[in-house]
Amino acid sequence: MDAPRIVLGVIGADCHSVGNKILDAFFTEAGFHVVNLGVMVSQDEFLDAAIESNADAIFVSSLYGHGLIDCEGLRQKALERGLDRIILYVGGNLVVGKTPYEEVERKFKAMGFDRVFRPTVDLAAVAEMLRGDLGSRMN
Amino acid sequence: MAAKLLLSVDIGSTYTKGGLFAVEGEELSLVAREVLPTTVDDLARVFAEVREAVLAGRTGAVPPADVPVYWSSSARGGLKIAAVGLTPDLTLSVARLAATSAGGKVVRAFSYELSAEDLAELRSVEPDIVLFTGGTDGGNSRVVLHNAARLAELASPAVILYAGNRKVRDQVAGILRGREVATAANVMPEVGTIDIEPARDVVRRVFLERIVDGKGLSSVVAAAGREPLPTPLAVFELVRTIAERVPGWEDFALIDMGGATTDFYSHTKSFHGGDAVILRGLVEPTLKRTVEGDLGLRVSAEALVRSEGAFLESRLRAAGLDPAALQAYAADVSHRTGYLPEDERGRGFDRLLAAACVRAASLRHAGLLQRVFTPQGGFLVQRGKDLRHVKRLIGSGGFLAGSTDPSLLLEACAPGSDDPDTRHLVPEAPACYADAQYLIPLLGNLAADFPDAAARAAVAGLRPLTPHSHQRG
Repeated sequence: MDAPRIVLGVIGADCHSVGNKILDAFFTEAGFHVVNLGVMVSQDEFLDAAIESNADAIFVSSLYGHGLIDCEGLRQKALERGLDRIILYVGGNLVVGKTPYEEVERKFKAMGFDRVFRPTVDLAAVAEMLRGDLGSRMN
Repeated sequence: MAAKLLLSVDIGSTYTKGGLFAVEGEELSLVAREVLPTTVDDLARVFAEVREAVLAGRTGAVPPADVPVYWSSSARGGLKIAAVGLTPDLTLSVARLAATSAGGKVVRAFSYELSAEDLAELRSVEPDIVLFTGGTDGGNSRVVLHNAARLAELASPAVILYAGNRKVRDQVAGILRGREVATAANVMPEVGTIDIEPARDVVRRVFLERIVDGKGLSSVVAAAGREPLPTPLAVFELVRTIAERVPGWEDFALIDMGGATTDFYSHTKSFHGGDAVILRGLVEPTLKRTVEGDLGLRVSAEALVRSEGAFLESRLRAAGLDPAALQAYAADVSHRTGYLPEDERGRGFDRLLAAACVRAASLRHAGLLQRVFTPQGGFLVQRGKDLRHVKRLIGSGGFLAGSTDPSLLLEACAPGSDDPDTRHLVPEAPACYADAQYLIPLLGNLAADFPDAAARAAVAGLRPLTPHSHQRG
């Protein structure tokens, strides 16, 4: 079977590039085919790349606290553009201030993200979860 | 030892140009040239006439029939390519780039699944080639296979060139069996990676092997004893050859403005980086051609007045002229392809239309740099190609070839935007030249066999344009 395909990028006007490079290196090493769009990626750029590369998942990073506004509507747009089975993960410093993580997770899940991660998450665990999610999507 | 003689001919849609060159070692020099109106219904006739006029009495001991002939053609609509891609900003945009870089003109472009209506439209524009792309290698195959099945039903003699997702290439070829099909490596093997050279190569081959006949060029092939190049491809290759072989010409651009289209060629690195500059979108190639079908002085004059109306109007107002008069002029000359104005008023209108063509072609070819303010501070975001390092700019085609001062070509450096945070990446202050003897396409034909000599002769044949230097006498 071909390696699962992930589109990576930092959404919105966010220029934090270090974490993005770490994700690229880690997931490539872990056996995924990574399409890395880098920083300052718009919703449409994520979706264009996912369509062309037939991606299984999109990983959206957001580090600068504007994640809510930037990610709003991504799931609907994906559906509109025919990506009806795409897995959406989001992670980083998603909102400004001291909102409890559970609250943040609830909000992003309500927006259609399958999983929501803190900046401190263990990437090996994320890879495991993705394999699991891909497996259950097949059925 | 006597110099070897070469004849080069370019059959354009309006004029056919011929040049006799003497080649001695690494030097090419022009012996004679001739321009005649193209006889569109019989291209072999104008070819023979130009050949005779150029060679007459000039070949010495060599029988005229023994002078090797190199030639190009853009007659009968040039090379018409329809582009099919998946998403408009990725594979379709790369397909357009590949088509124009191969010397073609994109007559229609389609993204996503082709519908029955798209197919009818595709047939109606009568493309020579359908450049069929979509998906990265190993990427999307669903839409690609859908489009292959659609294209299998296309009632058109067009050659279908598949340059999409490599994983389904054999399957696509299978679906299209029985049609004229060619394949090339994927134009976008990975998101953001452009690989247009293989597709360009196949387009050139397809043009030679299968299209020449349909353009009424086979009789010329028989007379010339050689296959032609599409004119823009000859120019494209000459631009590459000059940049690679003439010192000081690594970064330059060429504008070829005609009655129907304006072509812009650039050879310069697309993106120069820098800490606070972020590139979005595709990294464009160092050598790039764009062709604008609505920018031209005759056939396209009315389209030009429509698409560049705001610019033309502001210039006319500044000069105290009536925009309606320009509109009437454009309507009049759009049906008179060979018309040359006899009075100052007409010449003024032509200059103005030419300024609009040069300016718009440059703005469309060049990318954009925008200042964006983010929570981490100000950044510059670049999209498209940076032409600011272009040091030299050549004007070619009848009107620009006749330039005697650089003001018209320098319209290519127009800022294009009043917004202080948006900058068009047009050339900044290039030295300007006129292809005064209109040798560019003729030498383009010779670039493959005599690269050094053709490149040097092209540069040597240019007229440098300096401000206020009017013609002597």
